[in-house]
Amino acid sequence: MPDPLPSTPPPATEAPWRQRWFPNNELVLLGVLLLECAVFSLTGSHFLGRANAFEVARLGVEVGLLALVMTAVIVTGGIDLSVGSMMGLAAVVLGALWRDAHWPIAAAAGAALLVGLAGGALNAAMISRLGFPPLIVTLGTFSLFRGVAEGLTRGIENYAGLPPRFLFWGQGYLAGVVPTQLLVLVAATLGCAWWLHVTKWGRALYAIGSSPEGARYAGVPVARRLFFVYVLSGLASSLAAVIYVAHLGQAKSDAGTGYELMAITAVVLGGASIFGGRGTVLGTMLGLSAIVVLQNGLRLSGQPAELAGILTGVLLVGTILVDRLSSRAAPTLPRAAEEMDVKNSQVAVVCGTILVAALVVVAGNTMLVRSLREERRRPSEPAGRPAREGGAAAGADTRKPVVAMMPKAKGDPYFISCRKGAEEAAAELGVELLWDGPTDLDPAKQNEVVEAWITRGVDVIAVSVENEVAISTVLRKARERGIKVITWDADAQKDARDFFINQATPQGIGYTLTDEAARILGGKGEFAIITASLSAANQNQWIASIKERLAAKYPGLKLVAIQPSEGDRDRAFSETQTVLKVHPNVKVIMAIAAPAVPGAAEAVKQSGRTDVKVTGLSLPNMCKPYVHSGVAESIVLWNTLDLGYLTVHAARALAGGQLAPGARELQAGRLGRIEVRGDQVMLGAPFVFNKTNIDRFDF
Amino acid sequence: MTARYKRELSALVVFGGMLAAVGIVAPSFFSAANLRDLAVNNAPVLIVATGATLVILVGQIDISVGSQFAVCAVAAGSLAKQGLPVPLLAPCILALGAAMGAVNGVLVGRLGLPSIIVTLAMLVAWRDGLRWATEGAWVQDLPPDFQWFGLGQEAGQWLIVGVALAVLLGLAWILRNLRVGRAVYAVGSDAEAARLAGLEPSRLVLGVFVAMGALTGLAALLNAVRFSSIPSNMGVGLELKAVAAVVVGGTAITGGRGRLLGTLVGAALLGTLGTALVFAGVNPFWEKALQGAIILAALVSDVALGRLEHHARPTPLHATARH
Repeated sequence: MPDPLPSTPPPATEAPWRQRWFPNNELVLLGVLLLECAVFSLTGSHFLGRANAFEVARLGVEVGLLALVMTAVIVTGGIDLSVGSMMGLAAVVLGALWRDAHWPIAAAAGAALLVGLAGGALNAAMISRLGFPPLIVTLGTFSLFRGVAEGLTRGIENYAGLPPRFLFWGQGYLAGVVPTQLLVLVAATLGCAWWLHVTKWGRALYAIGSSPEGARYAGVPVARRLFFVYVLSGLASSLAAVIYVAHLGQAKSDAGTGYELMAITAVVLGGASIFGGRGTVLGTMLGLSAIVVLQNGLRLSGQPAELAGILTGVLLVGTILVDRLSSRAAPTLPRAAEEMDVKNSQVAVVCGTILVAALVVVAGNTMLVRSLREERRRPSEPAGRPAREGGAAAGADTRKPVVAMMPKAKGDPYFISCRKGAEEAAAELGVELLWDGPTDLDPAKQNEVVEAWITRGVDVIAVSVENEVAISTVLRKARERGIKVITWDADAQKDARDFFINQATPQGIGYTLTDEAARILGGKGEFAIITASLSAANQNQWIASIKERLAAKYPGLKLVAIQPSEGDRDRAFSETQTVLKVHPNVKVIMAIAAPAVPGAAEAVKQSGRTDVKVTGLSLPNMCKPYVHSGVAESIVLWNTLDLGYLTVHAARALAGGQLAPGARELQAGRLGRIEVRGDQVMLGAPFVFNKTNIDRFDF
Repeated sequence: MTARYKRELSALVVFGGMLAAVGIVAPSFFSAANLRDLAVNNAPVLIVATGATLVILVGQIDISVGSQFAVCAVAAGSLAKQGLPVPLLAPCILALGAAMGAVNGVLVGRLGLPSIIVTLAMLVAWRDGLRWATEGAWVQDLPPDFQWFGLGQEAGQWLIVGVALAVLLGLAWILRNLRVGRAVYAVGSDAEAARLAGLEPSRLVLGVFVAMGALTGLAALLNAVRFSSIPSNMGVGLELKAVAAVVVGGTAITGGRGRLLGTLVGAALLGTLGTALVFAGVNPFWEKALQGAIILAALVSDVALGRLEHHARPTPLHATARH
């Protein structure tokens, strides 16, 4: 085959080394990364160390795979928004073929990769053959792939129990220290670097990105090259999905949600031009590292994770801003030869200033807190090793025990009220309470936070589990390191924790809700459920219990619809409006997510239907106006303040040895004696709030 | 005449098909109450999509509107709770939205940064900033005259839909008849040519982003007054809804081509799809897949109508000349 790119500019052998190796702002990023490491090694516990380095690397693998191919896509001047959704689809295909079709796991993984190829080919065909803008095509497939994944599984299926041989690829260690999947990322990085930077094939992509017309005249088969890039993007997404499934030990339709934005952010931070023609694999990996290290470092420093988002945004704009300002002389020729010395130093100064300013605040806070408690800390902890073996024994006298508590989602009002109770107990007992978790429901994020806590070396970890399969491996690891583990609100696998703080069983909740509905309806009639998302694990358990109770006790009650609210009050509102019109005989709306009850109640109120009542699971404060006006008949819940309070008490007792296997009861401050049943601490039965008692509660 | 509106027609045909199908299966879809609820629920999205049309017409994109929406909604609630009279809320929130839009506008218009990156950064930064500030708490116990601006449900609903339509029609008229409207098309088609013709692309882009921000603030306020409390996680995914409505309505993502009329059809199509599915008794699990299919179908129908132009990539503001 004749050389397709005879006029490739000669590799800049005469250019200074800096321009050859770091053509964009890679040097700056390297500086930012070093700066982050320097600051966090001062502020974070056990930040510097082999173990943490490898854990950070493990967290970056899935996004890293996406970002590598995204670099190629962006270099051609395109974009692929569908990668995260493709992860969801590939994960579901893998799980379904393995569990339901009884394929061997290797064959199922292979099929998942084929699905990635096919999805990539769909994007590729529409973009390279039909010439549609990539942004719109992949926006469409972004919805399409995720939608098909949800449709196939009805949002509910959760494929777990995968064979250990497969899980090794996401959870195992090579030679005891190197996470297995890191090998995949390293191989992919080297492969991509070679492909993009060495082969004519890869260089052609830069030509396409700079000017598709020019590339065509130069003899590059533009359509064929583009086709290949998008197919590869689909393949990389499905490979990332396979690793994600092995990492979390479960396959579900929500895999990889939001990963497309993280991948694009990493690529752009790495100096790639969104208009194409510029970008390096090295830059992308540095960009990715900067983000992942920032998140990990903030967590180990006990700073709010939200800061990571703000800093990433600032960094992103700062990088391209300086890049643009320094090349302003020739705005229409952004890729003209530039004076790299000036540019790089300018970029470095501004980015550095921004980051330093932000981090100084962080460091200041943290150093202050640490210096206050450092004196009481045992001095001989080898850095990087979570030396907490036997730490619990020392908890009682030498220093404050550290209890790390995780909600399912930090922003959820339910958990905010739990936190209040937890802080009350922490103040009472003199416990240092760490409160961190995902901002939205996200099992992968929960694992990340627990990993950070293990590295940091806390005394007790208390988790409200979003997905029991996904988190149990990492909780077991925590126990191996001598950290006591409690689950609260929702349980993990039994051998992954010491105790479960049981606020109410799914059965208890489901039965109480059904009884309430039956009472309101007088034992006969239709009702509808507004749930959280269709794939929410807790809600699906409750619905199963509700159906069970209906079949056993209330043949006159009919459940006519289950609609999702996605945890969004406004969505619950419009879904309720629709349900009321489609099923005019519905007399009770049962909303089983905290924001859904006010949404549903407002919809009933605005419809003027006084014959319809709302009940469900929510927080008293949110629903007070509706309960008082009679739109909401009642809400079912336990006292969430007490739940947080009890969890911290149990954690303290566990660390101090007062709560041990075989205990029958627990002394929990103002709650008095609490029953311990086996390995569960029982908060009590769910509580029905109604007009007469709701004002007594404030949470 | 029909040739001019071909792009809008393809969306209209799909919309009509959907309405006909649901009309046969479930005629009660067309009850006055349902149509009114659909109009009220979709009015805020329509306003945001109107702004997004302007931004896309001028050759840019804004994916930060969902986060701005949430910031404006929470600010509206907090201000009302602090005792700010309800009539004064509108100018305050519009100004706040315009200010956030101006940040985008300066970075994109004045400094020439790529809009997708700037607004991606703002999407993350505003959202996480809001989470940091509120810690997820809702704004509750609003004054009683906050809901519906104290006008009552019926009048309030008319007001919301009326404002949304007035904004859409007003801007459509401006785009069509005024100098500044035509300039949007000129800059979106070719910024360099527009500059040589005496227009000021950077100022226009700044102005469009400010308008987008103000419209987002307006939408957030009109949405907030439908309820008596304000969650802090509002507007997640709103940017994609808005962009999808614009694209389904036939506006070219590369800028310079499209009409607000199409956006109206696109927003109506995507906004009623979910409800129509429930009426038709289709499983809600397939809604997202259908939305994606409709976006792709809108693209393909362009081919069928023979109006395809090859645009391989988004046009940067300072695009190198295309040959």
